[in-house]
Amino acid sequence: MNTEIFENQIRGLNIVRGALQGAAGEICKSCIGLEGAKTKLGKMAKKLGMDLQAAEICCEKTKAGIQARIDSISKTAEELEVAEECECQKTAGNCKLGEVCFVNAAIDLMKLVK
Amino acid sequence: MTKARCGRILDEDIYIEEGDTTTLYFVNQLRAYQVVLAALKALDQDVCHDGCSLPSTVGKVIKRLGKLKNDLEASNVAAEKKESLLSKIDSFLADANRLPQDTSQTCRKSAGECIIGSGCFAAGALGLIDISEPKAPKT
Repeated sequence: MNTEIFENQIRGLNIVRGALQGAAGEICKSCIGLEGAKTKLGKMAKKLGMDLQAAEICCEKTKAGIQARIDSISKTAEELEVAEECECQKTAGNCKLGEVCFVNAAIDLMKLVK
Repeated sequence: MTKARCGRILDEDIYIEEGDTTTLYFVNQLRAYQVVLAALKALDQDVCHDGCSLPSTVGKVIKRLGKLKNDLEASNVAAEKKESLLSKIDSFLADANRLPQDTSQTCRKSAGECIIGSGCFAAGALGLIDISEPKAPKT
């Protein structure tokens, strides 16, 4: 893996994190959708960190810089405010968006990264 | 009529009457803008800050919020609810206006800085607005 792949993934994770923070200010805060997305974001960041450690990047300073950015995403993912008891807000009758889900759509932004 | 919770916008729980799809349309649009603006703020910290897609998207958001405001003003949404939602649109417009709007900058792909492929984060974020239902009420 070269550094470009990590850069692109980090950029994607950052925008997903931003969108999820927006959703956390919404009724999604009490939704299992956001709870799951928070876990997913954390896992994606963790996997990226593991891939980075296994990658052959000759410059340790560069590698450390990338790791610091991944750690920052992990930290903000953990800090995403989700209610202690969550349930799907569609099932609860609060979310009347139709079949779609903002949180899932936010996670799908990662698909833009090739 | 029974009122049901249907969203939380700018720290305020929103309730509407069951079956009021006109008000629901405006509420769901604002729910979407809340997420989209948060995503665009994250992009403003990215290389997109110096590109043209983010400013172009911000311009579209401002235009669409303006249209949403006009549509809301012309709608039959109850006066008190209308005022509350209009103030939220104004708040989102103020947020959007703080984001970059200079479209004369070079696309970061063309500049060789954005190498995510053919996709575009700014355009992708804007797409979040279009997924919400119900669709715009016919006037």
